[in-house]
Amino acid sequence: MRTPRPLALIAEVTHRCPLHCVYCSNPLELKARDEELPTETWSRVFEEGAELGMLHVHFTGGEPLARNDLIQLVATAHSRLLYTNLITSGIGLNDKKLATLIEAGLDHLQLSFQDGEEKFANWIAGAGAHAHKLALAQIVQQNGRLAFTVNLVVHRHNLDRLESMISFAESLGPQRIEIANVQYYGWAWKNREWLLPTREQVKRSFAVVEQAQERLKGQIKIDFVTPDYYATFPKPCMGGWGRQLMLVDPSGKVLPCHAAAIIPDLHFENVKQKPLRWIWEESPAFRRFRGENWMPEPCKSCERRTLDFGGCRCQASLITGDANATDPVCSLAPTHRLVEERLARANSPASAGPDSTPTPQSAPMWTYRPQPR
Amino acid sequence: MTMKDLSHAWHPRLGIGCRVRKDENGDTVLLLPEGILRLKGTAAEIIRLCDGERTFADILQAMEAQYPSSNPKQIEQQIGSFLNRLLERRAVDF
Repeated sequence: MRTPRPLALIAEVTHRCPLHCVYCSNPLELKARDEELPTETWSRVFEEGAELGMLHVHFTGGEPLARNDLIQLVATAHSRLLYTNLITSGIGLNDKKLATLIEAGLDHLQLSFQDGEEKFANWIAGAGAHAHKLALAQIVQQNGRLAFTVNLVVHRHNLDRLESMISFAESLGPQRIEIANVQYYGWAWKNREWLLPTREQVKRSFAVVEQAQERLKGQIKIDFVTPDYYATFPKPCMGGWGRQLMLVDPSGKVLPCHAAAIIPDLHFENVKQKPLRWIWEESPAFRRFRGENWMPEPCKSCERRTLDFGGCRCQASLITGDANATDPVCSLAPTHRLVEERLARANSPASAGPDSTPTPQSAPMWTYRPQPR
Repeated sequence: MTMKDLSHAWHPRLGIGCRVRKDENGDTVLLLPEGILRLKGTAAEIIRLCDGERTFADILQAMEAQYPSSNPKQIEQQIGSFLNRLLERRAVDF
């Protein structure tokens, strides 16, 4: 099989972050500041990525603005004709710095909100971040030169307020709103019992999103990341393993997605030792689940294998303990009952349902993502 | 804005945060905040005409001149629906 070309680089430039969101997608083992790649190495990564045919760089973290060379990194990526996207909490950004980033070639900014209401938002983030985010949204709106997406992360404790959250997002003047159900990796996996919505909530949210999409057609594009565990078939995670995307973590380790480091027995290479092209084309970790040879039944003979690529390897590993298994979210997977059992718990009256939504004052029942050491 | 609103007097231009470039194979790609549209043949020609200067009518005229044997009604219908799809993604603005 001819190796596909990667389309985008996810540059996880730091794990430092002023927020402590309970569903953070960062790994449980966070990289410390002194492990972070220097500016020159990132510059080389962008150069090698562009030569590999990549078109986008998504700057993410942690909080990318925690790095004081971010403007330089954006400028370098831009000079390689890469489309630059900043995924940020907005903390550390003001109008002057925003103008400098745009000058450097920033194409798009995505700002995520934990809720439309401050007390809930700060409770989820474990930090008083909401007011800062609002201020930044106003700066972006006033600036008017930058493409802007408002991201809303949804779960058990805010899905019932989805309509008002969408109105809130609209008021910030974005071109796009992304409504993303929490996906259960990293800190969200750790806190999954508290985050998994009920079937009723999910059903209602589909209708709410559909209405908003219809109402805002041509004005605001609404993208919806549906909740994994309630799906009939798995998501085509990252567009297939080693098929479209590469993620470089703060220390230079190269992964096919945010979570892959949890898969035991896979060795991921580092950009400090190996060229990006070799890692993409030749490294055993990237070849491990590329294509169809690794697939078990029922994937191997399933006609959907070219659509979902067997689903998510990390999900298989987390839920079944075997990264080679069919994604257990799939209704055809032999281990699907593991997901059904979780859903049964989430939907049982005894579970911490929306009625018993804890208030920001109540004792924390979940684990906040800490700062790296 | 819906398709029936697509007036001949409007000036389509690339949406904010959207860029057109060639990829490593020389194919035209439209880069969007969260994705890529590969533009083949006429689609690439049309997107180059969405410069905020030309009107929708100018674009139709240019394409009719380029494809004289095609039915102008059909050209308008096809370009209109293409631009509407881009509009829904905020890939073009008017």
